[in-house]
Amino acid sequence: MDLRAGDSWGMLACLCAVLWHLPAVPALNRTGDPGPGPSIQKTYDLTRYLEHQLRSLAGTYLNYLGPPFNEPDFNPPRLGAETLPRATVNLDVWRSLNDKLRLTQNYEAYSHLLCYLRGLNRQAATAELRRSLAHFCTSLQGLLGSIAGVMAALGYPLPQPLPGTEPTWAPGPAHSDFLQKMDDFWLLKELQTWLWRSAKDFNRLKKKMQPPAAAVTLHLEAHGF
Amino acid sequence: CNNSVHFYIFSCSFSGELLDPCGYIKPESPIVQLGSNFTAVCVLKEKCMDYFHVNANYIFWKTNHVTIPKEQYTIINKTASSVTFTDISLLNIQLTCNIRTFGQIDQNVYGIRIISGCKKKMMCQWDPGRETYLETNFTLKSEWATEKFADCKTKRDTPTSCTVDYSPVYFVNIEVWVEAENALGKVTSDHINFDPVDKVKPSPPHNLSVSNSEELSSILKLTWINSSIQGFIGLKYNIQYRTRDASTWSQIPPEDTASTRYSFTVQDLKPFTEYVFRIRCMKEDGKGFWSDWSEEASGITYEDRPSKAPSFWYKIEPSHTHGYRSVQLIWKTLPPFEANGKILDYEVTLTRWKSRLQNYTVNDTKWTVNITNDRYIATLTARNLVGKSNAAVLTIPAYDFQATRPVTDLKAFPKDNMLWVEWTAPNESVNKYILEWCVLSDKAPCIQDWQQEDGTVHRTYLRGNLAESKCYLITVTPVYADGPGSTESIKAYLKQAPPSKGPTVRTKKVGKNEAVLEWDQLPVDVQNGFIRNYTIFYRTIIGNETAVNVDSSHTEYTLSSLTSDTLYMVRMAAYTDEGGKDGPEFTFTTPKFAQGEIEAIVVPVCLAFLLTTLLGVLFCFNKRDLIKKHIWPNVPDPSKSHIAQWSPHTPPRHNFNSKDQMYSDGNFTDVSVVEIEAANDKKPFPEDLKSLDLFKKEKISTEGHSSGIGGSSCMSSSRPSISSSDENESAQNTSGTVQYSTVVHSGYRHQVPSVQVFSRSESTQPLLDSEERPEDLQLVDNIDSSVGNLPRQQYFKQNCSQHETSPDISHFERSKQVSSVNEEDFVRLKQQISDISQPYGSGQMKMFQEISVADAFGPRTEGQVERFETVGMEAAIDEGMPKSYLPQTVRRGGYMPQ
Repeated sequence: MDLRAGDSWGMLACLCAVLWHLPAVPALNRTGDPGPGPSIQKTYDLTRYLEHQLRSLAGTYLNYLGPPFNEPDFNPPRLGAETLPRATVNLDVWRSLNDKLRLTQNYEAYSHLLCYLRGLNRQAATAELRRSLAHFCTSLQGLLGSIAGVMAALGYPLPQPLPGTEPTWAPGPAHSDFLQKMDDFWLLKELQTWLWRSAKDFNRLKKKMQPPAAAVTLHLEAHGF
Repeated sequence: CNNSVHFYIFSCSFSGELLDPCGYIKPESPIVQLGSNFTAVCVLKEKCMDYFHVNANYIFWKTNHVTIPKEQYTIINKTASSVTFTDISLLNIQLTCNIRTFGQIDQNVYGIRIISGCKKKMMCQWDPGRETYLETNFTLKSEWATEKFADCKTKRDTPTSCTVDYSPVYFVNIEVWVEAENALGKVTSDHINFDPVDKVKPSPPHNLSVSNSEELSSILKLTWINSSIQGFIGLKYNIQYRTRDASTWSQIPPEDTASTRYSFTVQDLKPFTEYVFRIRCMKEDGKGFWSDWSEEASGITYEDRPSKAPSFWYKIEPSHTHGYRSVQLIWKTLPPFEANGKILDYEVTLTRWKSRLQNYTVNDTKWTVNITNDRYIATLTARNLVGKSNAAVLTIPAYDFQATRPVTDLKAFPKDNMLWVEWTAPNESVNKYILEWCVLSDKAPCIQDWQQEDGTVHRTYLRGNLAESKCYLITVTPVYADGPGSTESIKAYLKQAPPSKGPTVRTKKVGKNEAVLEWDQLPVDVQNGFIRNYTIFYRTIIGNETAVNVDSSHTEYTLSSLTSDTLYMVRMAAYTDEGGKDGPEFTFTTPKFAQGEIEAIVVPVCLAFLLTTLLGVLFCFNKRDLIKKHIWPNVPDPSKSHIAQWSPHTPPRHNFNSKDQMYSDGNFTDVSVVEIEAANDKKPFPEDLKSLDLFKKEKISTEGHSSGIGGSSCMSSSRPSISSSDENESAQNTSGTVQYSTVVHSGYRHQVPSVQVFSRSESTQPLLDSEERPEDLQLVDNIDSSVGNLPRQQYFKQNCSQHETSPDISHFERSKQVSSVNEEDFVRLKQQISDISQPYGSGQMKMFQEISVADAFGPRTEGQVERFETVGMEAAIDEGMPKSYLPQTVRRGGYMPQ
């Protein structure tokens, strides 16, 4: 009998060991998420990648807009761009932001910016520019997904999309061609500022998450976007 | 990674005030495939050209503020200039079009930015699995959690891979799988989920450049431009380098290049050496793939002072000046790894014992100076841009210095295609060794090459262009602090070969059964190696070849056991370690007899013959009476006959006189001359003319001669005309008549007489008593052989002189015979002649072709010369008249013809 009881314990230990190692099996690990740490790191890398992309895209696009928008020291007043989410924020305010709010602001900002950018793409004249913008939009879409993944990993709900669906970049009839270019200019500029800020945000989050939380939130896909 | 170049235009904002550009560049935003050619055209505007007074010729192009060479420009027309780039690589440059206005002011016209980039492309590949034998379509599907991407349909020729159209987004996981579909249905592969950035293969770093440092000759600094991917991922690198002539690469430790960087300083390099570098990169964390290698770049490290003193040696040549020596100091150029730069010159110092130092600067690698017989110390330093080498010191000993202490056990041997020299060092410490070598040749002088080895070395190889199959004479000299030691030499070959010519063998002496062969040593130029031995091959024509090995030290060999009187073919081969070579074949014949053998045979034979002859002679001598009886019959001596008493002259006196005269003064007493050529027309006897008609008709103008009594004429054997012994005998029997032969015929000048008649004389002169005068008969018997030979026993001394014009020598010999006859004989002769002429008359005389008249000289008395002249009467051909010869005998001293 004793012997039988020993066997049971052994089998149980074996089962536990198998279960313990299950995440290590690649086939099972396919959708496995090791935690928000790697996601945050990846999101941070992605912001930098987007920033890099935007640099060349902005150069191309500003050249496309022509002078004076492509001049390095061109700094027009922020006219008619109030609808764009502002990335600039008081440093103390930024420091006091909690993770959820921080992530939510990022998510909301990029949701808006993506919409505007798609509008921009529709107006682009050259095929090459359109290809670059489309790729940037896809990448930005990826960033949104990445942020959503981090939020999901941290257990925060995604902000609800605004009623009336996505915001439109619908310049009024009053807009002159120059003012339209001013809006485009500010969109790219704001996008760049947001990417800088996001890099800082995720760097802060990254540091905060070390060591990464043991609790793993799974099923990234289950939440959807 | 399919690279393409993107052009982004930015305006000429850097031209500041020029808001309206002065021109423009076309194309403004082309997409050019990497590696292809690209041409940009700058077109100037009219008003600008007017303003600056320029045209397209004034255009110059710049990339990143560096002027492009004019060779790349093309002036299209007055307003347009183009620039062409070939093989565009990764670029990130500004391209500007500029004009140079008056006053050399450069004015920017227009600029474009060429941004290099690598268009990201993602290719996935898979294993198609089991062969389906049906047309199967593979589709690569990919998606994000939030977004699906376009399917990637495989191309027919590459069903196991597909390159997606979109650029993958880094840092966002993507899920891909493959769907295979054919007529039987559709299957899906496992889904794989990954971050594309972990699969990236970056473009290699470009614009790799190398720069050196004047401060440190052992470093080179590499700079490069990273692929644009380093903007968002970290990179690590592999840097490899090699010297220009090396084939293998050295690699800088990877841990030194494990993070993103733009430059790297390579250390521990050799000074003044060209190095080639290349670099590649990959994602810092090692995920993904290494990029391709960059293009190679090279650089030369800066110079350093020469690290070693040059090899230094000297040669002493006799000087013309008494008390001085001519010393040639020689040295070797430093190899690049020791020169550490370009050697500018050499500094030589020369110090005579305890006197001031003298400094010289030399550009060459040799320097000749006259020095005294004292001891000198020479030093040598090499100088380059950075500094001087250490000094090489050489002691030139005094004139009377005796070198000692050589190296021992000197050996030279080829190994690994090099000629190695090995020696045992002397007991004393050696500063350095000098190895000298040259090719030994009969054709060229020994031109020495040399090298220096450190004092610790006792084995080295000759560093020079050595040729195979050449004999090298290698000399090793140890150099001590007080001067050179004595030298040791050795001969060696880098690689031996069979001799190029075989030795030429020849015979020195050939005997009946042996032959001594000799040959010359092969000249060193054809030896091609050490001659180890010779082989002599010899054979007869039919026999087998025999080979004999001979040591190489010999130049002679004796072949023994040869067959006599046989032709031998012999040739010789000389062998080096690598093989042999036959020389030319030599043939000789052994004699039949050994030397002296013939003599050994001939001498006894001759002696035997001589002995036999002697014995024969002795025998004959002893038995001479008997022989005489057999051979010479007794002939009566006419002088002792009674008839002789009858002669008017007393024969004894005559005989005595005759003999006496003959031997005392024979030069003319015996002459019987019959000269017929000089025709004596004026003296013919009329009665004789008739008889000599025949002569005339037959144009025989030659002399007819008749010798004396008893057929002693010169007409000998062929014309047994006159007095054969038979006739004599018959004549003897005919008492009262003396038989004379008086007729001689001869074809003068080849004219053959038609008739030859020997008529017997009708004289009735009594025959001489043979018993009384046997000698006379003997003469007659031996008429053929006795001409001039036996004068002692002759009554008629015969002298025949040859007539110059006559081809028929024998006739004239005889016809000119001079006989000495006694007076009776002569009388008889004359009588005979008259007898002949008288009874026969002219008709009879025609039978005579020639009348020989024996001119007999009677005994001379008291210094008188008796001479008989026969005057030939010549038949004159022209006149057609027959002429006859009439012997005219003139006797001085009162002889009268009968």
